[in-house]
Amino acid sequence: MNTGGLILIIGSLAAAAAAFIWLGFKIQNGTPAKAAKGRKELIADAAAEDIEHIFNDDFREELRNRGRLHFEKVINDNAVFLQQDLRNTTTQLNEYMRSEITRTLQEEFKKYEQSINDAKQLAMASIQKTVETIDQQREFLEKQIKEQSNAQEERIIARFEAEMAGIFNHYIVKAIGNQIDLSDQLDFILGELEANKQAILEDIKHGAS
Amino acid sequence: MAPLKLTPDVVSQADVTRLNRELDSLDDFFVSAKARPAGSSIAPPKLSHALEALAEENGLNLLDEKARQILADQLAAVYKEAPNFHISFAVEASPKSLERILTWMRQSIHPQLLLQVGLQPTIAAGCVLRTTNKIFDMSLRARLNSQTEYLAQLIKESVDGR
Repeated sequence: MNTGGLILIIGSLAAAAAAFIWLGFKIQNGTPAKAAKGRKELIADAAAEDIEHIFNDDFREELRNRGRLHFEKVINDNAVFLQQDLRNTTTQLNEYMRSEITRTLQEEFKKYEQSINDAKQLAMASIQKTVETIDQQREFLEKQIKEQSNAQEERIIARFEAEMAGIFNHYIVKAIGNQIDLSDQLDFILGELEANKQAILEDIKHGAS
Repeated sequence: MAPLKLTPDVVSQADVTRLNRELDSLDDFFVSAKARPAGSSIAPPKLSHALEALAEENGLNLLDEKARQILADQLAAVYKEAPNFHISFAVEASPKSLERILTWMRQSIHPQLLLQVGLQPTIAAGCVLRTTNKIFDMSLRARLNSQTEYLAQLIKESVDGR
């Protein structure tokens, strides 16, 4: 509101006051009843006229403008408050969201970690079981192979022992061939005959021809 | 009658049979000599050294028919009753070696023992004697067989590095 407006309003108020004062003097100067009635009517008319005069279109426009300005101010103030509230709310909401998301994520991570741990435990248990099974299988196979190996070794040794004399004999026959004359063996043969003499005599004595 | 002394030349039943055949041929000769015409030449059968040695050993004159008959009977008895062993060697037996073995057998086992000699190279050395009921394996092969455990022990020790 500018200064001109204020001067206008103040001037209007001063004119209204002067009008009231003049009207009061005029009523005191008439007949009592008629004058009182006439004064009242005059006052009412003057008031109505003054009201019409005071609250004219400009004044109303002025009031409307002031009201608009005030309303705008209130709106602006409220907008600021609203904005501030909105910011606060947004901030709180963000914090809330952040905390909620963090909490949810942490819970999910915990669950995920738990799941991973469970899976890890299961995998470890499974691997442990597999390792134990493999170990058992390995021990079983090792035992079987060892048994088979021992059996095979024993078979080979037994066969070798059984055939060994024959092998040596064959080797000796092959090696010496006819190199050893019977005369070289005579002492051996006669010694053997002497050793078996009694048995030969017994055989002749008791044996049926 | 003293038992017939067999010489080392008489080894097997085949020798006895051969000697008997010789005696038969000698008898035949004397029979034919008696029946020959006077003045005709006569060729006596050639006697083997074995028969001559046998007759000499036993003090028998082969010109005497009775002595020949005694010898023939005794040879038949030997063929029939004397122990007949079979002996195998790894190599061919030389007469000298065989004589020593036969002499030992006739001195130690039976004076009229006969031997049938065989060859068995697989025995390597020594001999295998088959008597009436038994086989006496006196070969190197048998020795090796009997020493199998010792041989195995030696090989095991060698393998173990002892």
